[in-house]
Parts: sequence; structure tokens; C-alpha cells
Amino acid sequence: MLNLFTKTFRQAPPDLAGLGAAYIALPIARGCTVPNGRFAVLANGDAHTRRLSEGARVNAFEGETAWCVHPGPYACELIPFAAAPEIGLKVAFAIGSADPREALQRFDLFLASEGGERVALDAFVAQVESALQRALAQGNLELPPCTSFEEWNLFRSGFNQLLYTRFGVMVDDCVPVDLGAARDLAALLAARLAVQPVSAPAAVAAQEAFDAAIEDRKGLRRLFLELPRVQCGLRMAVLPADCATFRRHQDLLRRLDLVSLGVGTMPALELAAPNQALAAGEQLRRARHTRRAVAALDEAWALLARMKHAVTEMLPAIALLDEADRIVANLECDCAARRAPHEEDA
Amino acid sequence: MNGAPIACRSIAPDGSYLTVTATVRPRDGRAEVKCSVPDAPDVARRMQAVVRLARHTEARFDSRAQVVLSLDRAPGAGERDWELAAVLADRMVRGLYQPPVPVVANGWSEAWHLGRVDGHSLGTVPFGVLAGGEGGLPHLGALSGHPDPAVGVSSARAWFPLVTGGADDSLAWVEVNVRPALSDGDDEESRIVVPGVDATLQARVRAVLVAARHHDGRGAGQWRTTVRFAEERFQGGSFELALVMADRMARGRDFLPRGRLLATGQSASWHAGRVENVDGAAPKCALLLREAGAGDRILLPRAWEAELSADWRAQLKAQGASVACVDRIGII
Repeated sequence: MLNLFTKTFRQAPPDLAGLGAAYIALPIARGCTVPNGRFAVLANGDAHTRRLSEGARVNAFEGETAWCVHPGPYACELIPFAAAPEIGLKVAFAIGSADPREALQRFDLFLASEGGERVALDAFVAQVESALQRALAQGNLELPPCTSFEEWNLFRSGFNQLLYTRFGVMVDDCVPVDLGAARDLAALLAARLAVQPVSAPAAVAAQEAFDAAIEDRKGLRRLFLELPRVQCGLRMAVLPADCATFRRHQDLLRRLDLVSLGVGTMPALELAAPNQALAAGEQLRRARHTRRAVAALDEAWALLARMKHAVTEMLPAIALLDEADRIVANLECDCAARRAPHEEDA
Repeated sequence: MNGAPIACRSIAPDGSYLTVTATVRPRDGRAEVKCSVPDAPDVARRMQAVVRLARHTEARFDSRAQVVLSLDRAPGAGERDWELAAVLADRMVRGLYQPPVPVVANGWSEAWHLGRVDGHSLGTVPFGVLAGGEGGLPHLGALSGHPDPAVGVSSARAWFPLVTGGADDSLAWVEVNVRPALSDGDDEESRIVVPGVDATLQARVRAVLVAARHHDGRGAGQWRTTVRFAEERFQGGSFELALVMADRMARGRDFLPRGRLLATGQSASWHAGRVENVDGAAPKCALLLREAGAGDRILLPRAWEAELSADWRAQLKAQGASVACVDRIGII
């Protein structure tokens, strides 16, 4: 009579096809119910996040984005050295339930900061692989030929810590695996030899070929959200033993603070001065510096992982503070260059 | 941060030396690379571009240091062989490349950002000169024996100690080049060539590689292989482990060390992947300790494990190298 309850109270079940297989996280609409065995992450523009467990109704506030996440486990194959494609690591990882000791879950920050609309498994695995390759190339993780058991265990714990600190995922299992059947180097090289004359200029083009506006926007967003958390992590990771260390630590924190302030007030990519356009080439240069600053941010997360690992391994914290100094200097340098309207050469 | 200046030389077409001098100092907001060439600002700009591009192949960037590079005089017009010397000087002054002897290097490239070295313009390469391009230094990673991930031919180097009991003890390298074999038919052994060595050594290299690939389970019938030695005349079989590891790295079958791979060991049963003892533990360990640098990986036979002193291990670790005593190859 009153036609008050003709609309069904519950919304149609959300479309989550591929979640848990091809996708790690998919968007979920407001008012839907979180399906069994999944959980939802809600984040607002400042990356304040909260989690909803299965069966709860997604009651997103204004300005909040909601993802439905399948905790896994997921299986993937990583290649630790780009030049050795026939040997890999078979890794199984999962997204753990919320750690009650942490105010902000690292995986939720990952979603808010770089998740985008949806997180595909293969793109995520590519990110993990590049983080691993970078750690190995810099010597922060070691995986030498004929790895011994002790070295392998050290690698495993460092790798677990890296993935937890950088991405917020837990490594369930990780074993070396022969990928010879799937990625045959001989066939790869034969294919490369066949296209050799064309491939060289294409590689040059690939370096410059990226969308400056999108890269810059994404990069600055990440810096804006993650730098304060890195600073927070750095504050808690080091317990200064003496006065000199304390001062160095304080100085690093202060400089990081200035960098994140600088990121928050970064001028627009396309403006040289208010209402004055910037040349396209200079915009590309600015975007390149954003990219390098983001690379330094990734290194900072990797360093935090090493610092947490160092507590158990008794490595000298002084050496890691020097590394932190380098990373902060890189961040300062690239953010200053991103701010400048043209390249300053001395 | 102010270190001693480093010099790296290059041979000009008239036979005289061009010298690149490099120093490093705190950056203080200036450019990360500064170059100066007397009377040739264009060459200085080109040098800065070259060095910046070549730094794209490095994993670790440090914005706190400025490297100042200078050429002692202007090179001739269109001359580009100094480029490799500038790139190496930039790495040496920051400790990324630590050669045991003073370096003379000639080479140019169109793709420094990929680490490629395209060639050199020397007529004949004098002994001891590092020359860019095929047969010399085809890409920057080859300084520590790594395969180049961007080309169709894969090659890798490993080093082994060569001791004669005198002052000439040195590390010698063995290089394995593999390219895909397109034709079937001929047997595995005839696809492995070792130019410049006698028949005995060639037969031995072939037997070792065939057996090791048999153990590996892959690589049989896939490759045409060229093996080169730093020195073609030597005695003994302690090069075998280095050879097998270089082959595995070239075929992309093993983890890569960050620096060089230094190995000694032999075997009568490579088909089972076993590594057996070799002689000369004491002089070889002394030599390895002298030569090992940051990131290097040392592989020794398992039997040596008891003979290694804690001092020796600690000193190696301080130099940044790691050591393992193995009785078989492959994943643990």
C-alpha cells in the first residue's frame, strides 16, 4: 500500500569474477555484502583505512573507496636474475589477517596508494619480481651460485621481511625451481637474434615512452601517502644507542619531514609559474624525476625491511643509517628537481 | 668523501695517451657529473651525457657525491674512443670497479644506457688494453663476467686461480659463449669449440661440458658453444669447476653472483654433478684472498672446508666476498 518495501533491501551480489585467481582485489559497491572467505578494505583520500570481515555490509562513507580482497594463497614464479631466466623461485604468498599491533596494515596502504581500481595478480607479481631483482642487484639480499643452507635461510628471512614491509603480504612457501621447460633461453635468444636489427632502436624509444601526466600523478600520490609512513617506520625502527646516533637519526627524520612537506606542495606538472605553461620536454623531465623519487621510496621500504631484519641478525645499525642518509638525499634531490621549472646545471 | 684522484687512460690514434682523471667530492646541490676538457666544451658535454647514460645500468644511485672528470687535452675531431675510459673512471672513483692494475681502455657506444660497448677504433689491440666490442668488452656487465641480458649471444666468465708456486700466481678466466643451435644432426661434442688450445685440453673441455649438461638435464643439443681461456697453456684440471659454472651462467641456469665468480675444483663424475678435491689449498687461498673484491663469490671443494681458517673467512667477509665449499653443483 505504501510501496515502502517493494525494492529489495539487499543489493544484487557483487560481480567478483576472477577474484582469487586473476585478481587479488576488485572494487565492491556500497551496500553489498562481503562474500564468505573474503574481506573488504575501505580507504579514504588520506589513506585512512579500515577492514570489514566476511558477511559485513559495505557501509562506505562519502569519499571512501572499497575493495573486496581474496586473502589467497596465490602461487607465482619469480625470476631473481633477468640474465638467468631458466632458474626461478616458486613462491606462494597470502594476505594475512590484520595485525592488531599495527595502526595501519601495510597491504591496506598498498591498496590505497597504488592499488588503483583493481589489483591484477600478474601486475602485482611483476612488482614483486622487480623489488626482488633490485634487492639482489644492490646486494641487500644474497642469492649466489651454489647457495648453502645458511645463506638460503638468511635469504628467505630477508625476502619474507621485504615482501611484508613493502607489500604487506606473507610468504608461505618459496623454493628454487627449474623453469627451463617454460622459459627456454635458447628459444628466447633465437627469437632475439631474428629481430636483432629492429630491436635496438625500439629499446631506446621505450625509455622515453611513458605518459608523463599519469606517471607523475601516480608517483606524487604515492610519495604523498607513503612518505609519512616511512618516516614513522624509521622513527620506530632505530633505537639510538648514543647521543651522536640520536642526532643523526633526528636529522634524517627532520629531512624526511621536509621532503614530504615539499611533496604536499608540489607545483602542477604543466605549469612553470601560475598561469604559465611548461614545455612538453620539461614536463617529461619532471615526470622522470618523480619516477626516480618513487624508486627511492621503494628503496626506503626495502631499507625498513632490512632494519627490522637487522634486529634479529645483529647487523650494525650505523651502516644502515648511512644507507638511509643516501636514500633521503636521493629523495631530496629528485623532489627539488621535480619542483624546478627547468634543469639546473652546475 | 674526497678521495684520491683516479686516472684511466685511452690510446689516441697517433699512439699517445689521453688521460681521464676523476675525483669525487660532496655534491652540495651541483650536477652529479661535471666534465671538463680543455678548449672543447662540446666534448665535455658529450662526456657528461655518456657518463650519465652509462649510470642507468647501475643498481644503486647516490645523489650525495659529485664526480668531476677531466681529460688532459682535447681529443681529435670525431674521436670517441675515450668514452669507455670516462665511464670506467667514473666507476673506479666511486669504488664500483676495482681493477688490480692501471687501466687503459678504448671503446665507444651508441647505447651506453643499455651498458653496451659497440666497438673501438684501434688497429691492433696492444696487450693489456681493454677494448670495447666483440672479442673484448661487449658490455659493461662483462667486467664481472655476467651475461648480457639484451643480446642474442649469451656469454659468461668465471675465474680460477692459476698457481705456479711463484710470483706469477694469478687469476685466469674462462669464458663460455653460447648461441642457439638451429641445425640438428651433428653431435654435442663437435658443437663445442675451444680455439687456440691443444687437442688434449679441447677434448677435456668437451667431455666436461657434455657430462655437466647431462647432469643438468637441459642444454643438450640446444647450443653452439665457444670456450676461451685467458691463457691457453696451463697444467691441471682445477679449471673445471669454473668452466662448468660459467657454462651454467651463460645458459641462464644458475644464480648470478653480484661480482665475479672465482672457483677451483675438478671432477671425474660431472654427469653426477659432483665436485672433487684439487691440490694447492694454501697458495690458492692466499691468492683468492688477495684478489677477491666486493660481491665476488668463491667456490671451493668441500674437502677444503676444514683447512680454511676463521681469520681467512673473516677477512674475505670484510672485503665483501662470500665463500662456499661445495661437493655438488646446482641448487642446494
